[in-house]
Amino acid sequence: MKTAVVAGLLAATCLSPAAHADALDDIISSGTLRCAVVLDFPPMGSRDADNNPIGFDVDYCNDLAAALGVEAEIVETPFPERIPALMSGRVDVGVASTSDTLERAKTVGMTIPYFAFQMAVTAKDGAGVASFEDMKGKTVGATAGTYEAIALEEQVKEWGEGTFRPYQTQADVFLALSQGQIDATVSTSTVAQANVKTGNFPGISVVGSAPFDTDYVALFAMREEYGLLNYLNLFINQQVRTGRYAELYEKWVGGDLPDLTVPGTYR
Amino acid sequence: MFDTALSWNDMIFLAQGAGMTLMVTAVAVLAGTVMGIVFGVLRYQLGTWWSLPLTFVLDIFRSVPLLIQLVLGNAFQAIARLGWEPFTTSCVILSLYTAAYCTEIVRGGIEAVPPTTRRAARSLGLTWWGDMRYIVAPLATRVSLPAWIGLTLGVLKDSALVLWLGLIELLRASQILVTRLQEPLFILMICGAIYFLLSFPIARLGGYLEKRWSPHD
Amino acid sequence: MFNYTFRWNQALNALPQMLDGALVTLQIALLSMVIGVAVAVALTLFRLSGNRVLRAIAATWVELARNTPALFQIYMAHFGLGAFGIHLSPYASLLAGIAFNNAGYLAENFRGALKAIPDTQTRAARSLGMPAGQAFRLIVMPQMFRVAFLPATNQMVWAILMTSLGVTVGMNTDLAGITQELNARSFRTFEFFAIAAVIYYVIAKAVTLAAQAFAWRMFRY
Repeated sequence: MKTAVVAGLLAATCLSPAAHADALDDIISSGTLRCAVVLDFPPMGSRDADNNPIGFDVDYCNDLAAALGVEAEIVETPFPERIPALMSGRVDVGVASTSDTLERAKTVGMTIPYFAFQMAVTAKDGAGVASFEDMKGKTVGATAGTYEAIALEEQVKEWGEGTFRPYQTQADVFLALSQGQIDATVSTSTVAQANVKTGNFPGISVVGSAPFDTDYVALFAMREEYGLLNYLNLFINQQVRTGRYAELYEKWVGGDLPDLTVPGTYR
Repeated sequence: MFDTALSWNDMIFLAQGAGMTLMVTAVAVLAGTVMGIVFGVLRYQLGTWWSLPLTFVLDIFRSVPLLIQLVLGNAFQAIARLGWEPFTTSCVILSLYTAAYCTEIVRGGIEAVPPTTRRAARSLGLTWWGDMRYIVAPLATRVSLPAWIGLTLGVLKDSALVLWLGLIELLRASQILVTRLQEPLFILMICGAIYFLLSFPIARLGGYLEKRWSPHD
Repeated sequence: MFNYTFRWNQALNALPQMLDGALVTLQIALLSMVIGVAVAVALTLFRLSGNRVLRAIAATWVELARNTPALFQIYMAHFGLGAFGIHLSPYASLLAGIAFNNAGYLAENFRGALKAIPDTQTRAARSLGMPAGQAFRLIVMPQMFRVAFLPATNQMVWAILMTSLGVTVGMNTDLAGITQELNARSFRTFEFFAIAAVIYYVIAKAVTLAAQAFAWRMFRY
């Protein structure tokens, strides 16, 4: 009887780690961390002249992999495919500038914010848009499904005039803007500045800020993987604490470092 | 216009994209044709009534936009935790899509073989299999080939939609270059030219065979 | 196997919105067919004409439309023309792209249909004293439409399916556009796209049946 119990306990101790291996264990034991990154979203993610992935999110994923002691693998996902990639287990973590809306948090697990965007208005020169209010009645666009697109579409509806056009990629928005298909766009200021700076899009300039709330973006993982989400939260905290966040910000964006906390509340 | 920032490297990148397009197409057409032949024969043998479930399922693939099929297929494999690469998902969906059309082509081909010919074959002592192999297959192939080539062309072009899943095929490769180099017209024209180069010879072959093998000429 | 909770009620709440989108989808498909048929008839006439330039235009159009992806054509209508300073709205780009595609395929259908009409008919009409134009219009064209009707129905279904590509050029009022937007907001991809698939299926079937009924009334004798 006693031996049976001991044997049973032994078996349970031996087997339970295998049976309860969570995503965090899986990543560490597999030796690879697979990150979903959006690569047409400079400076967060883009491609260099050899078409290799670079950007803030790419570096962030590499740091995370280094912290876990594993290799990083960048999996390019278009904006709409971030979640299916996660759900199917093709990636472990999304490092993809994903706004942490309550609606989305019903489906995936969001960490604390790892980056914060201010919204800026970029306009086509000569379209007569010099501020956010000037966009009233104009044709405007943004990247479909992003925080700013949702806010801008509601604003256009509220104004009751003008047109809103969602494009599937950030690149298409700026292409449309520089061609004059749309008069102005609201995007994250980092993205706007990075795109204007490239000189790829002639005739557009950042004309002002948009009065939308700060867009906090989070890493995401499977909703039920608390172990991993906990680790990610601590990792984000450590990135700020060690100054790595400031370093990466200086490298890719530059300027005033955005605060990742909301005054007067936790998280 | 020819003053372009497009480098040799970028042309190789485009060529890789074209390679991906060809690969997805090849897998889809191959698998789709095999399935199409099996389903086509089944449909013919079972008759309209018994093959109704099969007809219905295959009809879905022809009545829902491929883009929706791809997104839905990808979401499904995600939910089922199959962990498929976008390449696998794309190939599976495109194969089924091809099979749905191919089934109709195969069935049409078999139906075009005169029943009297087949009865004659069976009276000569050929088994069902022998009849299929030596009488129906050669005759039906002749009737079906032009349509099959048309289908192959269709799949080659429709494969552009797999870019939605993040697969870097020809069109997606062009978009990436457009993003970096900002020469939309020039790069898109190269992209179109490559598509044309890939499909025009096949189209011509189809036209030639149609003319050559047409029973009316 | 399924570690996923389906939330159909959330998706079904959006059904009215999606049905509105379905109307837009149908509208674009119908318009693109009307334009497509008109252009295809013109292209067919071009191909028959003695003018070498007209023949070349028609041949180029047909080959381009048939040998490049529809997605490419729509993308080109938006961003390609945009480079020339011609700005089409997403709706117009989508319509232009599909109509371009339709015209190419339909012109090829019409050519095939023309071949099926014996030359002797035109000759008979001409000997009855009809001018060439009238003979084409009254004798050849009606028969051409009859032969080409079934392939044209298929093209109509294709047009419906092609409208889903509008999302790539910023279209957000058709069925695919609305579905994609709902998906981006909530990440419930499977539920929303499954409903969209059902709606597309129903539209495609309804159009096919309507066309069959129409053909039965028009072309029987």
